[in-house]
Amino acid sequence: HIAIMASTKASKEQKYDRQLRLWGDHGQETLENAHVCLINATATGTEILKNLVLPGIGAFTIVDGHTVTGEDVGNNFFLSKDSIGKNRAQAATELLQELNSDVSGNFVEEGPDKLLDNDSEFFHRFTIVIGVQLPESTCLRLGSVLCSASVPFLVCKTYGLIGYMRLVVQEHTVIESHPDNALEDLRLDQPYAEFQNHIKSYDLDSMEKKDHSHTPWIIIVAKYLEKWLSEHNGQPPKNYKEKEAFRQLIREGIRKNENGVPEDEENFEEAIKNVNTALNPTKIPSAVEDIFNSEQCKNITAQSPSFWVMLRAVKEFVHNEGNGSLPVRGTIPDMIADSQKFINLQNVYREKAMQDAAAVSKHVESLLQSVGKVWPESIPEKDIKLFCKNASFLRVVRCRSLAEEYSVDTVNKDEITSCMDSPDSEMVFYLMLRAVDRFYQQHSRYPGVYNYQVEEDISKLKVCVNSLLQEYSLNVNIKDDYIHEFCRYGAAEPHTVSAFLGGSAAQEAIKIISHQFVPFNNTFLYNAMSQTSATLSL
Amino acid sequence: TSLSKGQPPAVSGWGVLVVGAGGIGCELLKNLVLTGFKNIEVIDLDTIDVSNLNRQFLFQKKHVGKSKAQVAKESALQFCPSANITAYHDSIMNPEYNVEFFRKFMLVMNALDNRAARNHVNRMCLAADIPLIESGTAGYLGQVTVIKKGMTECYECQPKPAQKTFPGCTIRNTPSEPIHCIVWAKYLFNQLFGEEDADQEVSPDTADPEAAWNPEETAARATASDKDGDIKRVSTKEWARSTGYDSVKLFNKLFKDDIMYLLTMDKLWKKRKAPTPLDWHQLENSAHDTCNKEQLFAQRLKDQQVLDVWGYCQLFQHSVETLRSQLQEKGEGAELVWDKDDPPAMDFVTAAANLRMHIFSMNMKSRFDVKSMAGNIIPAIATTNAVIAGLIVLEGLKILSGELESCRTIFLNKCPNLRKKLLVPCVLDPPSANCYVCASKPEVTVKLNVHKTMVLTLQDKIVKERFGMVAPDVQIEDGKGTILISSEEGETEGNNNKFLSDFGIRNGSRLQADDFLQDYTLLINVLHVEDLERDVEFEVVGEAPDKAPPPQTNQEEVNSITNGNKDSAQPSTSSKGQHRSGHDANAMTGGVNIQSCKNDNKHLSVPLISSIEWKVFFVCLFQ
Repeated sequence: HIAIMASTKASKEQKYDRQLRLWGDHGQETLENAHVCLINATATGTEILKNLVLPGIGAFTIVDGHTVTGEDVGNNFFLSKDSIGKNRAQAATELLQELNSDVSGNFVEEGPDKLLDNDSEFFHRFTIVIGVQLPESTCLRLGSVLCSASVPFLVCKTYGLIGYMRLVVQEHTVIESHPDNALEDLRLDQPYAEFQNHIKSYDLDSMEKKDHSHTPWIIIVAKYLEKWLSEHNGQPPKNYKEKEAFRQLIREGIRKNENGVPEDEENFEEAIKNVNTALNPTKIPSAVEDIFNSEQCKNITAQSPSFWVMLRAVKEFVHNEGNGSLPVRGTIPDMIADSQKFINLQNVYREKAMQDAAAVSKHVESLLQSVGKVWPESIPEKDIKLFCKNASFLRVVRCRSLAEEYSVDTVNKDEITSCMDSPDSEMVFYLMLRAVDRFYQQHSRYPGVYNYQVEEDISKLKVCVNSLLQEYSLNVNIKDDYIHEFCRYGAAEPHTVSAFLGGSAAQEAIKIISHQFVPFNNTFLYNAMSQTSATLSL
Repeated sequence: TSLSKGQPPAVSGWGVLVVGAGGIGCELLKNLVLTGFKNIEVIDLDTIDVSNLNRQFLFQKKHVGKSKAQVAKESALQFCPSANITAYHDSIMNPEYNVEFFRKFMLVMNALDNRAARNHVNRMCLAADIPLIESGTAGYLGQVTVIKKGMTECYECQPKPAQKTFPGCTIRNTPSEPIHCIVWAKYLFNQLFGEEDADQEVSPDTADPEAAWNPEETAARATASDKDGDIKRVSTKEWARSTGYDSVKLFNKLFKDDIMYLLTMDKLWKKRKAPTPLDWHQLENSAHDTCNKEQLFAQRLKDQQVLDVWGYCQLFQHSVETLRSQLQEKGEGAELVWDKDDPPAMDFVTAAANLRMHIFSMNMKSRFDVKSMAGNIIPAIATTNAVIAGLIVLEGLKILSGELESCRTIFLNKCPNLRKKLLVPCVLDPPSANCYVCASKPEVTVKLNVHKTMVLTLQDKIVKERFGMVAPDVQIEDGKGTILISSEEGETEGNNNKFLSDFGIRNGSRLQADDFLQDYTLLINVLHVEDLERDVEFEVVGEAPDKAPPPQTNQEEVNSITNGNKDSAQPSTSSKGQHRSGHDANAMTGGVNIQSCKNDNKHLSVPLISSIEWKVFFVCLFQ
């Protein structure tokens, strides 16, 4: 059995090698445990699902009450001519399933409204629900059901040459946000005891030449910083001038040969180069401070998700063992040094990180105990370590609900009007999509679907645009060109626009499922004519 | 609203070429078929690997090992039987695909993964004057651009950062970064099990200019190299075979004797930390618990773990044994080809590279990391390719609608940038006047030492590798038209090992290099210099010296396809607005393609057919 498991694991490692390099084994594991619900297997819907089935989600369920039409077959790769007349959920499931034998495909031959009528908890079981080409009323209804069940909801729409996505999630926590250019956590400004001892174990003056030129730059900076502080009343170099003087101090430490010419000591050069980043004061990022202060962190209950329990434990750590700082990350960058010195230094950081994580673990344990959760209801050690390692990068994304977005009282008027100062902003497409929805409510069809209607629909759509602007008291101008354009679209889903949205939406879904990387908040618009996009907060 | 004006793209009648049937290629093929393109040709020389299956959705497990182009065609036809797809399992650089071949198409779309082929297709499209859409992805990043002769920059207008090549002496004598050890280990694989290549020597390089030793030291060196028999006289492979691929003997030669020999080149170690030789028996004796093969296998699965030195010794032994039997099974004279996705080959490189890293005081790397670097692996996912392929087709539709001026270079970011844009479209730049490819009379100046540069170096490293010619002819502009290099096999082989100065080439000489296939002529001005940096054979004036870029840790930047824009993954191409409006957009003859035209006619241009007619059409067709 172990051999079989090992070989399955090895073959998965091979198949998923190129993506494991982005989200790691644990990211892959969350994907493999995910159950994704797709509502409506239109071209956009199947494109999204294809991009989730390929990287290996655990299961999907397609919810679709429609019957496959000729038009569907024309723009949807996963519906064939033979499937015309069959249920669309079933037909698409058959072909999507073929993409990856590791994924279990299911389908329900009913529309979402009917499902909600019969079983309001139907959608609670999913990791994420992706709703495609849904009318506003269904979105609102699903939005509130999913919100109460804490299931993320991704609304997607391809409308002619416009792509639209809306993320609805009350609270989405991210441990690994993978920031670009993150600063190292070196604690040079406040060395912990073990680090101080390690620094003391070096005596740069009495060292042999080879050792001197193979001392890690972190030690060099620490040594000269010690010297600087003693000469400057304990004040570190702050401005450019002082930092330059500090660099010079390090430069003077480079060994000289018998003729007084400085030797080539690359490690010293590296130290000088890193002065700026090395002197960055250790502090808690404001984004992390903010979530420390949130209600979920303050009130830990038996129902609190592990993110909040760990966050609270880290907060306790900061106020106790951490003396105001987050747990040490425990990693150092590559640098010029011989293996032994590098490994010794790395171990100092690593061991401190383990100690800190162990202290956080203790807080986790007592927090769980305080809300009546006892062993074995604990949080795995490796999760706590990962959490501590990423403590500076934690993020919580809170999206406004659709109800808030749509309500006259809570509509984000500022964002809309400020964007509409430039009348060709992507915001105009948002307003047009809303107007089109209004059209659908009034006429039970989308404008311009039949060409003979285009002319009369233009004026009807214009009425909807105006009533929308009036209802929200929006003093903005929408060019007639856009109204014509939207009538001309006739609610079509050109395949290549669906393909684009399929990629983008699946990417966001993966972020949400894996809790890695920060998803957009909360609306995304794509204009295929100009190849532009924008994210809006609505 | 560019696509809404002008004539509709009558996509169905036009032939398009897709170069590459990988991640982007599969998506592209699907998008083209569903957008109504009827005549599609696709070419790819590659076969399907397991690691493709996470994104190349036209392939399944049962297709592993088969031609990508062929299977992509068959899978696409299963879904869309009426499309007319031609597949070539071949290299686009093959002379069969000449300018005439390219002229058949209205549009060429690159979905490639290497610069050599991108350069070549760029030149072919310039020669044939056919618009080209260039694209690429790396992890979450992507890029699309349009190239059209005389209107936009070509793929080679902007100098690209040099592709990573490492000087021989660094690899053989003085590695200073893990990548040097990994390259060495890959060379070693080929020397032992694969095709031997004179440029991939792994033993100490006695000709290292930096080592330049005194004659009296020679004796000591000779003794050192004689220890295990003077292996200089036989090839590494022959010697290995003569020992029966004895892993301990191999180990001691590579990691002890060769290192001790390097130590005798003491000038090298004046400023560097000297390497520390390893001895198998010593390591074996000091290893606390010898783990058995099963444990080793279990360890191997732990891809992301760094083993200790003895762990890598055992991995070395184990992989040598496996590779030896693979070689034996293949029979006399057989060769293995290194493949990052072949476990024993990857194990061998992981072990050998790590042992060398340890010897040269570097921090060892996990198998996972070594694989990234050895395989030049660029992370790849379905989602990015889907986005990029969607963008490509939209740019293609603009070109075919005669709206080249509205085409853009589009960069896909990892997440919305500070201005909240996930996509960054940029106006296409006009051609660079100094481009050594698309200028009217391309010319470059190359700095080299005419007494030390051989004709073969000129041919392989300068004219082919640097200037991207496939089958060059080079003549000297000396009034006599002396032919230095001929593309006809065997005609000028006698010149290969002669120096340029032997042909009277000196400072200020001009060479004319031609590639008949690419319809490309380049004038090379020779600038003679006595002293180039250590290990630098030549420099192109106006460009950075041709040496390895600084080490990069960011996976996404490591790829060789980057165009120098840090925010982007790749470069792209241009197109020109050729309109074949004479073709009938409605020339549909049943089948699935038909419906995609619905989108073209109705939504991407002024509607030609009313929707109601489309509905009727569908009803007739399908009911």
